[in-house]
Amino acid sequence: MFIKQAEQLKLEKQHGQVDSGHQGVIRPGRVFLVRWSRYNPYYLEPEPRKEVYHIPETELTPEQKEERELKSVRPIKAATNSVTSSVFNDPVLSKFVNMMMKDGDKIIAKGIITQTLENMKRKQVEKYHKAPEGKKAEIECNPYAIFHQALENCKPVIGLASIQKGGKFYQVPIPLTDNRRRFLAMKWMITECRDNKHRRTLMYEKLSQELLAAFSKEGNVVKRKHELHKMAESNRAYAHYRWW
Amino acid sequence: MEWHQTPGNHALCMRYHSTPAITTSLSSPIKVPPSSCGQEAVGMELETRPETLSIFRTQENDPACQSEQHLGQYYTVPPSHFHTVFPHGLPPRYQQQVKTFNEGCVMVRQPALELISHLKRADYSKPTMRYLLYGVKGSGKTMSLCHTVHYCSTQGWLVLHIPDAHLWVKNCKELLPSSYHASRFDQPIQASNWLRNFRTTNEHFLSKIKLRQRYVWTKRESTEEGRPLGELVDMGVSRVKSSSDVVGAVLKELRLQAGGTEGGFRLAVAVDGVNGLWGRTTLKKEDKSPVAPEELTLVHNLRKMINNDWCGGAVIATLSQTGSLYAPSSAYLPQELLGEEGFDSMDPFVPVPVSLYSEKEFESCYLYYLDRHWLQHPHSRTEEGKKELIFLSNRNPSVLERLCAFL
Repeated sequence: MFIKQAEQLKLEKQHGQVDSGHQGVIRPGRVFLVRWSRYNPYYLEPEPRKEVYHIPETELTPEQKEERELKSVRPIKAATNSVTSSVFNDPVLSKFVNMMMKDGDKIIAKGIITQTLENMKRKQVEKYHKAPEGKKAEIECNPYAIFHQALENCKPVIGLASIQKGGKFYQVPIPLTDNRRRFLAMKWMITECRDNKHRRTLMYEKLSQELLAAFSKEGNVVKRKHELHKMAESNRAYAHYRWW
Repeated sequence: MEWHQTPGNHALCMRYHSTPAITTSLSSPIKVPPSSCGQEAVGMELETRPETLSIFRTQENDPACQSEQHLGQYYTVPPSHFHTVFPHGLPPRYQQQVKTFNEGCVMVRQPALELISHLKRADYSKPTMRYLLYGVKGSGKTMSLCHTVHYCSTQGWLVLHIPDAHLWVKNCKELLPSSYHASRFDQPIQASNWLRNFRTTNEHFLSKIKLRQRYVWTKRESTEEGRPLGELVDMGVSRVKSSSDVVGAVLKELRLQAGGTEGGFRLAVAVDGVNGLWGRTTLKKEDKSPVAPEELTLVHNLRKMINNDWCGGAVIATLSQTGSLYAPSSAYLPQELLGEEGFDSMDPFVPVPVSLYSEKEFESCYLYYLDRHWLQHPHSRTEEGKKELIFLSNRNPSVLERLCAFL
């Protein structure tokens, strides 16, 4: 991962694309890596999806043909490590992995998530195989479906903002954007699993328990969402303090 | 056996036709996963004939009757056999899988069939044959060994299954100096655990075999000649201090009595990770000097077992790099893992290579996971997903298992 970023930096230096506002510093003998490299707008985004390249020549629309011709002359940015052309790529899961990552150690974070998914699937499949015929259809075995549904159940609909009026700060209910809601759900899930567990419980074990509970609308994270909703409901009177 | 592809070239919808000369028992309708074969499902029903079977399962649950026609198919180990035959031999991930799927299915593969055919045709009045399973990491050596152990068990042999010889040369908390021999060391915990599992596996033999020698344990305790073996084993389990010596005594008795004409039984010594018996240990004496493997009673006695100076049984061993000490991770050949000393002791042996899954075996494994609802990701049930699985795992059984675990 670090080798790729260093090469990226070197490329930029060669093509002279590094702007004056660039965040990286090159000292002799040592390259300091940057989080967000700034490419010249001349560079185009890479296309990781395989379907795009499988469309035969005849079925391309004029815009797509133009785009292809443009791509053959313009340089393309280096793809980051998180994009794959794999069919199993899930952007929401990648975001969750990034949020769980500490000190840039994505291997450990990804390992925890895969163990969580395996653990959830094992519990559900075991229940499935032991259940009588009538109950089998109700048991959800797909860990990805459970993860997405659990996250949906944890997303708050309305949030609170601290707005100053007349010298005092009021908690005012505000609408939340989709990104903010997703962020809050993931953040609550991760903090809950980090804080409220027994010293000996492993992260993936606790995370799988919480996700399964959230899937059936129980558990501490869903409770926290409900408490936020209640606070917003109780502060309805201040809603007109919002000016946007 | 022919494999046909239904129209639409969907590789999942394969049919199995039984060849007319060989009769195959019972059929269950082919299990077509509904999500992927939507349009083909109607066509399939029309084409299903009464004798079509599941591609990946066979009803032949007796290892003795399995042959080449069952290659690549899964047979179920009967639940009654499971806890008696395998109290300790199976790989941990496989044990988890058995618990999840509520059944224990083993794939019939070429190395195991070869081993079983050797065992069927061997001459047991000659000195013991040694068979060595070797292959890259994760190719299925331990599972082949367990398959063979199941065969030996069903044939009524006495099975001495050592789940992992590496466990005896590392991570030992208690190392007692041996009472029998001044320079050797005892491992009470490992020995008593093994004796307990040995007792579970071979219950019915314990009362039949009688000791031929008197064993004295302490000033007040001794086991007389003619007592049943069960008594010796019970004593070893209860008196943990002398359990290593009990193991040595048990091995000696079995070696003497295996080829016997009156009440003779066949003895199968199945050792996993046999390369741990030669080489180095990570154990240290009190003065911090390293312990050599021959200074451990358990290892010393097991080495005597693996020698081919007794008759009336077979030694089936597996090499293992996974638990091995001071061996490079790319080593898998017998010469590399056994070392000079080990190779000379094992020589002559019958090498049995264990390879990665063939295309047919991969198909079988894939269909088995689909049947057990293990592959849940919607994309993993498509052609693209299957190609990706083949690419990522390189058809290595353990890598495929770990990939499918979170998909």
